[in-house]
Amino acid sequence: MFRQILYTQWRWSGTGIVAVSIAAFVLPILTVQEAGVTDPTWLDARQLLPAIEYWSWVYPVLALGTGLLAATTAWTHDHRGHHVYALSLPLPRWQYVLLRYSAGLVLLVVPVVLLWLGAMLAATMTVIPPGLHAYPHALALRFALAVLLAYSLLFAISSATTRTAGYVITVVVVLFVLQLLFRLAGSTTDLVSPLFDRLMTLPGPFQIFGGRWMLIDV
Amino acid sequence: MFDLIDPRSPTPLYDQIADRVRMAIASGDLRPGEPLPSVRRLAANLRVNPATVVQAYRTLEAEGFVEMRQGSGTFVKDVGAARRDEERGDQARNLVREMLAEAARRGLRAREVLAALRDETGAEA
Amino acid sequence: MSNAIETKHLHRTMGKDFEIRDLSLSVPSGSIYGFLGPNGSGKTTTVRLLLGLLRPGGGSIAVLGRPIPSDVPRVLARTGYVPERPQLYGMLTVAEAMRYHAAFYSTWEERRAEDLTARFGLRPGLRISRLSKGETGKLMMLLSLAQSPDLLVLDEPTDGLDPVVRREVLSALLDYVSQRDATIFISSHLVHELERICDWVGVMDAGRLVAEMPMQTFKNGIKRLRVADAPSLVSDTPFVLLARETGDGLAGGEVWVVRGWQDPMKQYFEGVGARLREVVDLDLEEGFVELLRTFRKPGA
Repeated sequence: MFRQILYTQWRWSGTGIVAVSIAAFVLPILTVQEAGVTDPTWLDARQLLPAIEYWSWVYPVLALGTGLLAATTAWTHDHRGHHVYALSLPLPRWQYVLLRYSAGLVLLVVPVVLLWLGAMLAATMTVIPPGLHAYPHALALRFALAVLLAYSLLFAISSATTRTAGYVITVVVVLFVLQLLFRLAGSTTDLVSPLFDRLMTLPGPFQIFGGRWMLIDV
Repeated sequence: MFDLIDPRSPTPLYDQIADRVRMAIASGDLRPGEPLPSVRRLAANLRVNPATVVQAYRTLEAEGFVEMRQGSGTFVKDVGAARRDEERGDQARNLVREMLAEAARRGLRAREVLAALRDETGAEA
Repeated sequence: MSNAIETKHLHRTMGKDFEIRDLSLSVPSGSIYGFLGPNGSGKTTTVRLLLGLLRPGGGSIAVLGRPIPSDVPRVLARTGYVPERPQLYGMLTVAEAMRYHAAFYSTWEERRAEDLTARFGLRPGLRISRLSKGETGKLMMLLSLAQSPDLLVLDEPTDGLDPVVRREVLSALLDYVSQRDATIFISSHLVHELERICDWVGVMDAGRLVAEMPMQTFKNGIKRLRVADAPSLVSDTPFVLLARETGDGLAGGEVWVVRGWQDPMKQYFEGVGARLREVVDLDLEEGFVELLRTFRKPGA
């Protein structure tokens, strides 16, 4: 049963997973290249760190994108058929959802591992100035957790009926619209930022996406 | 042989099927010892409920025309010439009854039908 | 277990205008039960309720002896379902779809799947999105039959299929039934097709079950009588008079649609000074139409 679910999920998510995996591998290498670190004469830490930080935003975006891709491709085909086929299979709904979730996790191992390999490769490719260290493992772990979080959340939304997903999206949109209206009315009421901060800093759940994603740091 | 099964007729389907077999036996088209089509085959070919075919075969068995052998199928029994003639007589009578009923619907009288029959067959009634 | 499917006072509202009311149907085990009704009468809704795809508003449902919706997965393991609009995964090939389906059913018989693939002329390497309507219909039937189910629930399985494909599909279905003691619940508005194969019939109209009886009883039950010199007021008929109309042209007189007719009732007409000219048998479609007419008339 799991084999077949994994197979179908691979058929649906496959191309996307391959694409983000390539991106995940290439990304760390590119960031150190951009920062000019492969050039052995570049030894000044003060100029290196901002350069690395300049590109650090790509990681969380990639993690979010990967999670989104895996989550939505898992469900588009069932959505299209209004879940009739899945619901007529002889297993409880929760079991089916769990199998799909797990299949997605298996597929997500690929981009995570490739990012890890890319990070390690990038770390070996560069000459790191004294006082700085490379953190390929930490980066990869953080990436893995971020992908897991994004995937789980988006999967939960996707597996719900289109109606529930619509509600969630509507709430988010309404918040932003209200914010805009407040701004236009000249009020300084801020709905979005405090909420965002709450979610993004410890102990908020999305803290993992915020902050700096540094391959090379102090 | 089974082409004219009509689900719309008031005669139950099993009866129509049994009737076809009786006709074939009476006319000699089906010989003693010959097998009838399997229930499965006939049901699928005629697109009728297999239970209908089973009912037809059972009716024929009760009347003594066939024998259902467990595992091998259904076979025609030798009912003897007398019985076959009797069956032919029954078939002819049924045909005549139908014809007379239709004639009545059209407002024709038995005498007129008989005259037409004589003309058509050129036989002494 | 005597009934493969049994509902008692089933109730469900669908939106503002439509509801299934007081639905109590019984499908005897091993029968081929035809579920008739005009479009929009609630057939598909009933099927969805039976398989736990919709929650009932009230009443009870038991399929293969188990309560729905609490025991749905176990019932579905033994039930083959062909829904009204097949929803297979378009990206898979025929072979992949069969492998996928087979993984969920322990009773899957590969041999039957292979036989039917050959018989239906399905090409294993073809993508489902590329299949014609007829091929999709055949594939749906194949998937259900290869499961070796005890119950088949078919919702308009031959709708939109050409006659050749319809025959193939029905033949395969009947072939299966003759090998296994399965129950078939087939919902359709193609009355002629059901006439040949069903031994039971249930009729739906506007959310209610208006008739349920053996097929032969239904076919024989309603007749059309051609009556001449009928009195204007009619009472105490030994049969149920469903409708009464002036005859069509040629010989004048009236046409009566009656239920529960038996031959000896001819006497009645002599008694009232009328002439019974003819008793016309109705086929299933005509009987079905007449039945609905009477149920829709106010005060029927």
